[in-house]
Amino acid sequence: MNDARGEMDLSGDRGFQDVRESVYHVVLLACAVVSVLTTIGIVYSLAAPSVAFFAEVSAAEFFTATEFNVNIQPITFGVLPLAFGTIIVTVGAAAVALPLGLLTAIYLSEYADSRTRAVLKPMLEVLAGIPTVVYGYFALVYVTPFLDGVLPVELNTFNVLSASLVMGVMIVPMVSSISEDSMSAVPDTLRQGAYGLGATKFKVSTRVVVPAAVSGIASSYILAISRAVGETMIVVVAAGNLPNFPSGPGDVLPKFFEQTQTMTAAMVEVLTSEIGGGTVAYRSVFAIGLTLFGMTFALNLVSDFVAERYREEYD
Amino acid sequence: MTTDTNTDTDTVESVDPGLGRVSRLRGAVFRYVTFVASLVGVASLGVLLAYVFWDALGMDSAQPGWYAGFFLLVVAPFVGFVLRARTDAVAGEVALELFATVAGGIQGGFALVVVLDVIAGVDVWLSYFLTTIGPAVAVYLYGRLNRAASWTGLGILATGLLGPVAGTLLIGRIDVVVSGVGAPGIYLLTVTLPAALGVGLLVDRNEDLGDGRWATLALFALGVAGVLAADAVPGVSRSVWQLFVASFAAPTGYVVARNLADQERWSGLAGPGALVVGAGVLLLVDGPLGLVGPSPWFDWQFLTSPPSLTDPSTAGVYAPIVGSVFVIVLVAVFTLFLGVGAALYLEEYAGSSGLRGAVARLVRINISNLAGVPSVVYGLLGLAVFARLIGTGIGTVLTAALTLSLLILPIVIISAREAIAAVPDSQRRASYGMGATRWQTVRNVVLPRSLPGIMTGTILALGRAIGETAPLLMIGVPAFRRDEPTGLFTRTGALPRQVFTWADNPNPEFQYGVLAAGVVTLLVVLLTMNSIAILIRNKYERGDV
Repeated sequence: MNDARGEMDLSGDRGFQDVRESVYHVVLLACAVVSVLTTIGIVYSLAAPSVAFFAEVSAAEFFTATEFNVNIQPITFGVLPLAFGTIIVTVGAAAVALPLGLLTAIYLSEYADSRTRAVLKPMLEVLAGIPTVVYGYFALVYVTPFLDGVLPVELNTFNVLSASLVMGVMIVPMVSSISEDSMSAVPDTLRQGAYGLGATKFKVSTRVVVPAAVSGIASSYILAISRAVGETMIVVVAAGNLPNFPSGPGDVLPKFFEQTQTMTAAMVEVLTSEIGGGTVAYRSVFAIGLTLFGMTFALNLVSDFVAERYREEYD
Repeated sequence: MTTDTNTDTDTVESVDPGLGRVSRLRGAVFRYVTFVASLVGVASLGVLLAYVFWDALGMDSAQPGWYAGFFLLVVAPFVGFVLRARTDAVAGEVALELFATVAGGIQGGFALVVVLDVIAGVDVWLSYFLTTIGPAVAVYLYGRLNRAASWTGLGILATGLLGPVAGTLLIGRIDVVVSGVGAPGIYLLTVTLPAALGVGLLVDRNEDLGDGRWATLALFALGVAGVLAADAVPGVSRSVWQLFVASFAAPTGYVVARNLADQERWSGLAGPGALVVGAGVLLLVDGPLGLVGPSPWFDWQFLTSPPSLTDPSTAGVYAPIVGSVFVIVLVAVFTLFLGVGAALYLEEYAGSSGLRGAVARLVRINISNLAGVPSVVYGLLGLAVFARLIGTGIGTVLTAALTLSLLILPIVIISAREAIAAVPDSQRRASYGMGATRWQTVRNVVLPRSLPGIMTGTILALGRAIGETAPLLMIGVPAFRRDEPTGLFTRTGALPRQVFTWADNPNPEFQYGVLAAGVVTLLVVLLTMNSIAILIRNKYERGDV
């Protein structure tokens, strides 16, 4: 690159250089260690208050009681209605995002020409980049009034349906980009082999490419579900703040048109209300947070496991 | 190769011509379905965006005559340009570059004003400029000129560590200078002049353009002479003018001049030019012709007024914007340093075996898991560790900045690692072969090559940090604040937090007016950041940078 440097390195002061090299090594290592400290910080900040919480409220009550109520007597900390809210919102979002994401990935990987792809992919990335509070606003102010006018059912101002539809749109790119990556990784020889046997493009896409990429698709599904479980602002703004537990299996479907409270929404409600630090209600937020963290962490692990374990190797 | 795919049944089908036709129809339908499915998300977002922009710009109140003028003068040229840009790649590229420069320049100017003039104040800025930023830049430039000086890297590091201490001591002792030269004069010398010199250097390096000294002189003259113009405009102080010359006029002027110098790129200037002219003509004629235009919620008053919970007509987002800018600037500093450092360690330093290899593997797995943790959990981390344990305070600027930094750090590290891994190994070997040490290779080969990729990933991640709301709720950022933050430890409002507060208000003037304008503010900031990131990525992929 330049002679001055080469000369300097051969004749220069090695002692100074060694010091410099190790200083940089340590500084960079310290940067990398911050991420480990973050994990320790998360575990500490969730576990310490949770331990204190479970000393006052039994784990049995927390995981089995069907009411969550921190303001009005009798105060109960049942996580079940919140988990139910999280689950139906997630199911609604998945019903939108999983099929749309898969079809998008098939189109991008198998049918689109390179110019369409160059336009469509950045546009899909935009979907994932819009702040979630903005999505919540869309759901509350535009989607709910629209659905209320179109659907024959009575729709609450805050409802699960519009929140989960909008959330589904938000996580489409997550499904489509990971699925498309794994479809693009399917070697062309497989496609050519199938064409050689007389298969149509439709058969090649659905019977060759999709099965060969199934591990990536499944892993993208699980990641998207994990994202929906942890999503906060859309549900806080648009799905309401009232825990809503069904009385029986037949009561589940109407809950889509009513308001609910997810685990994330309950955390926000308790912490933004006038409840001070050091109370049981305050600590319950961390217990819910720990449950949520456990759920998403497990989903992410399963997603990694699926991607690794069921990957088809073509080398 | 694996061959256990279910294709053998198809051969039977395609022998029969009747079945073949069925398959073709099915294939066409399927192709159509996948195409429509891939548009559903984008199209529904497009409709929602159209609604919110329509509401925020108050388009309802405009007259049909105004719409006619608007379509004729603004929409038609724009659509024509988009249609042309479909076949003319250069035109689209130039338009993107101009948009990113103009919008980025305006927002960068806003951020500069907020950080230097509103939050730091001119005396604090001058102290740190004299002790930290100035010396660091001087040492860096000396290192570029005299490449044998191997101490410059450590010199900059030492300046970065010791300079702030000296600067803190200097604050209050330079009042004489501050009052003697005056705030605009200080900004002229410390911000406008360096920017003018930088543009001069760029002009010099570009063969199509003339002498860089004239560019420098012209920008400096604009900084001095424009003061008179700035005095005439209410709300724009002389200091603000200096900062906008540096962040907006300098880069925009350079980009326009460079595109004008190259005839092949003129077609790209036609679109934005037509838009500006069309909008200008519309503004000039709508008064005399009696056309009633829209009454936007998203306007200058909205951007410069404090927020309100009761009066939609005077509500604004000034204090929340200042808070958000303050937080994001800190986040940018933290994550760039930590993210690039961690990525460099993992890609260039970490071993692959033994204890070091185990540490590196642990960090890698850890980072990919952190990327999947919900943002609300990071909020709890910020509350428990920063706000309470370390004591940075509930809802303060520093707590928010630290929390959001940790939140986007995994994204920054992952994208920086990709950019660093994309540097060809042959270049590293060439550097080692010439006797360079590891750090010299990193600094002279790896970092310059991967910097555009790192910047792209960091800007996109910062865009995510600007819109994050859930962690802010957890760490107790107040729902509503009329005052802008004055220091690291003051409680602050933030733009997305304010949007959420307004979302609670069922008054339609808030829901379809103030709230829409707040959402549009957030979206405009994001759009600008994304287009800057895309611009850097495009240039990088072509190898311009």
